[in-house]
Amino acid sequence: MELTRPSDVADLDGGIFVHGGTEVVPLVRDGILSGAKLVDVRRVVPRGVDDGVIGAGTTLAELEVDPQIPDALREACRLAASPQLRNMGSLGGNLLQATRCWYWRLKYPCRLHGGDRCHAREGEHREHAIFANDFCASAHPSDVATALLALDARIRTTRRELALFELYRVPDENDRDVVRLEPGELILEVHVPTVEASVYLKAMDRKKWSFPQVGVAAARVDGTVRIALAGVAPIPWLLDSPEALDAATPLPRTEWKVPVARALVARALATLG
Amino acid sequence: MARLIRTEKEVEGRFEEVWLVVEEDALDQWPAGPQAIVGRDATRKDALERVRGEAKYTADLQLPGMLHAAILRSPYAHARVNKIDLSKALAAPGVHAAVGPGDAKGLEDEAGYAGAAVAAVAADTLAHAQRALRAIEIEWEELEVVLDPEDAVKRELYTAEPTTYERGDFEQALADADVVVEGTYRTSVVLHNSMETHQSVCEWVGDTLNVYISTQYVWGVRSAMAEAFDLPADKVRVVCEYMGGGFGSKNDPGEYTFVGAELARRTGRPVRCALSRRDENTAAGNRNATIQKLIVGARSDGTICALGGEFVNAVGWTGWSAMTEGPLQMLYACENVRTVRYGAKINTPPMKAFRAPGFVEGTFGLECLIDELAAKLDVDPLELRRKNYASSNDGKPFSSKNLMECYELAQEQWDRRHEVRSRSTGTWKHGVGMASQIWFGGGGPPSYAWIRIGSDARAQVVTAMQDIGTGTRTAMAQIAAEELGFPLDRVEVSLGDTSRGPYATLSAGSSTTPSVGPAVRAAAADAKRQLIEIAAQRYHVEERILDIKDGNVVSADGNVNTAVEKLVEVLEDAQILGKGARGPNPTGMSVLTFGIHVVEVAVDVETGEIRVERVYAAHDVGRIINPLGARSQVEGGIIQGIGHTLSEVRLHDPESGRILTTTLDAYRMPTIADVPEIVCAFVDRPDEHLTNLGSKGLGEPPIVPIAAAIANAIRDATGADVHELPISREELLRALQSAKEKERRGAHAAV
Repeated sequence: MELTRPSDVADLDGGIFVHGGTEVVPLVRDGILSGAKLVDVRRVVPRGVDDGVIGAGTTLAELEVDPQIPDALREACRLAASPQLRNMGSLGGNLLQATRCWYWRLKYPCRLHGGDRCHAREGEHREHAIFANDFCASAHPSDVATALLALDARIRTTRRELALFELYRVPDENDRDVVRLEPGELILEVHVPTVEASVYLKAMDRKKWSFPQVGVAAARVDGTVRIALAGVAPIPWLLDSPEALDAATPLPRTEWKVPVARALVARALATLG
Repeated sequence: MARLIRTEKEVEGRFEEVWLVVEEDALDQWPAGPQAIVGRDATRKDALERVRGEAKYTADLQLPGMLHAAILRSPYAHARVNKIDLSKALAAPGVHAAVGPGDAKGLEDEAGYAGAAVAAVAADTLAHAQRALRAIEIEWEELEVVLDPEDAVKRELYTAEPTTYERGDFEQALADADVVVEGTYRTSVVLHNSMETHQSVCEWVGDTLNVYISTQYVWGVRSAMAEAFDLPADKVRVVCEYMGGGFGSKNDPGEYTFVGAELARRTGRPVRCALSRRDENTAAGNRNATIQKLIVGARSDGTICALGGEFVNAVGWTGWSAMTEGPLQMLYACENVRTVRYGAKINTPPMKAFRAPGFVEGTFGLECLIDELAAKLDVDPLELRRKNYASSNDGKPFSSKNLMECYELAQEQWDRRHEVRSRSTGTWKHGVGMASQIWFGGGGPPSYAWIRIGSDARAQVVTAMQDIGTGTRTAMAQIAAEELGFPLDRVEVSLGDTSRGPYATLSAGSSTTPSVGPAVRAAAADAKRQLIEIAAQRYHVEERILDIKDGNVVSADGNVNTAVEKLVEVLEDAQILGKGARGPNPTGMSVLTFGIHVVEVAVDVETGEIRVERVYAAHDVGRIINPLGARSQVEGGIIQGIGHTLSEVRLHDPESGRILTTTLDAYRMPTIADVPEIVCAFVDRPDEHLTNLGSKGLGEPPIVPIAAAIANAIRDATGADVHELPISREELLRALQSAKEKERRGAHAAV
């Protein structure tokens, strides 16, 4: 494999983008991502926080101690992964991280890999989805994306600007991807609007270094509250209202996530006041 | 004098009658309590080497010309290799040799589980070897897969015949009981996940095979390799000076060593064969899952009159069926007991011994059941245990048992429960639970040690045991220093090499200290006797008034007081050689370890979050050699047990049988943030019947009761009866829901 280190957006020309490497390196090693060229984008992607604009190259470790950013995002960063991973992992990369579904990670020929069945639905799925899980039951693992979704963040890529919720899509028969980025498109910045209050709560399997079994982000702007959930659907999940949890379609061994989500949503709303 | 005896040998709860040559243990025990060195905190002899990274583990070893092996593992849970073609792999870049089914022990043409070793290659680098594996062509025939242990039992698919046990009249006693409680308890498959994965480096030098291996039993590896390669045992040298954990999973050479030695033989080069972390999570052994259907009958005064259990051990494709019923048979003074245990043969990776195999699982079921009985009888769980205290083991007297003293030590902690419960606020409920511990740990013969003292007045203990990370090297140095009357820093321990020391036991079954320790003391006593003989001649005093204390030769009349260094100057190149052997265990006695854990938890009844806030552990393992090392064993056992109790579970796909949790983010061991306050206490009373030390082992006891103590604390906090490990959020929420329904039904019935 060839490794390039471009220093200008104009020099980008295909390949697998890598920043901190905490996700891409294991996926390349396992043969899930393959290609001839690895492109280190650290010189291309902005890093740092300037008012409401966060460089996509900013690490989670930098964000978790930054007083300028909303509570939900800071807390989502603090509760993610381990300190070592947060020192390396970038904001942009985090938004694009893949599911932890063990079938997908072990390269079962599942729907997300282009196959014709979801092995998790009939198999082991205690960590899987309770929404939009008919085609693929994988759960999206990003705490950070969920916080940004509740905050109604926008992203700027090398080609356009779009709302974060537009970045994600539930995979289907025709398109197995969970993000709408085009080939060669790179996230450069995240724009976070000012909110009155925000919060992120997370149910984990141990106190540190655990992907969200259920993560709940909530933010209030002009009296309106936005709620988003992590670990409950193939993509970060926007919840229209607390009652929308009644419409969950859990699998036999993900039913437990519904009451946990309900409790965390109630707590998040109580925290917002 | 050497004596030939017929004796019962116990390892991990497995007994066999064996002939043994033993030497008499002629030394009286030291008085109880701390001595000059034994019984006092000692930092590890090898602490600096370890923290500086200077300690050479098998993983660090680089031999000139060394090749790297990779093993091809079956993707199927049950399949036969009908045809295999290694030629393309052999032709791949960097490859020097390839082996398939039948070429080395452990490579078989019938794969009984996903992850079973099938073929292997040796290449210049690991990457070359791994790439070459993909070039191996195999024609597989898939065979029927059985994954459900209960299904296997129904079809009588066993790894060994079912084991039954009965004493008294169980049926009658159960019928006469005033109160009966029953329940089904389940434990999941959990993994050792040693920090150093299973690995070895094999090298042929002339007609000798050198095996560098991360192992708990250098002598066991020696005999197994000699047998596999048809060599005289002394043509195999096995070395393990440092190792990164084993927990029971490294008692034998493993297929990686047979494969490595064969590839080394074929290539004439040293070969490293190391499991990756993923293989470690798949094919390095596990604590098997169990299903335990338990029943207890008691009189209204709390006397337990009947105990019964049906145990299914989901052993896997091979492995042995551990004594899951042990605690139920042994912990309480119940006259009527009936158990049956099945070892289910299923298409999952084989179990291997894991830190008190069987007893960890069995104690979870039993001690939860006893607490549920206490709740039903409305009696104090600790009082119920005191009332049913066993004073013998199935008629056999205990060599020593101080469980009642453990209960006494824990009483103050237990009394905290009223205050702890009162901390409950909102959805967070607090509670306290306890569980008792019973396990083996007496060790046994044979084990030997030598001691060498030269004119530099330093003592070297030489014994081919291994320190698997528990700190036994330091304990041995303390024992030798104590007996010799030397300062601790004048004693070194040479271990871990079958060609550089006498036989010592395997480091399993909490047996290293109680097995090798007495031999070290005997060797030290032999050497000291010789030093005193020399001193008597040199200083013209009677031997009987001479002693060695803190590195000085002293006489009772005060006329001699001189440093050992001065005495041994006369030796020049001469050496004093002491030798010692482990004596026999007491005949007709049950040698066991005991303890209690008292656990404080906080439970969020809405989200199912469990926080273990404090663990108090009191153990009775005879004399404590190194309190610092002992505390660290207790802490390690508790932390490992918290993992099994709350977050760790190895999952397999119910259809294909493939292991799904193969990485450390999916298989969740506790992090430092999950570790609660841990308080340790020891009865520290020598077992007067056991060896010249009166010490038992402590490697395993602390992991035995922790799961049940946590489960019982959860019941105390919330009223929920958890019946499954791990107590994941879903298991806790299920138990809470079921408690709520039970309460509702009760209220309904009352109306």
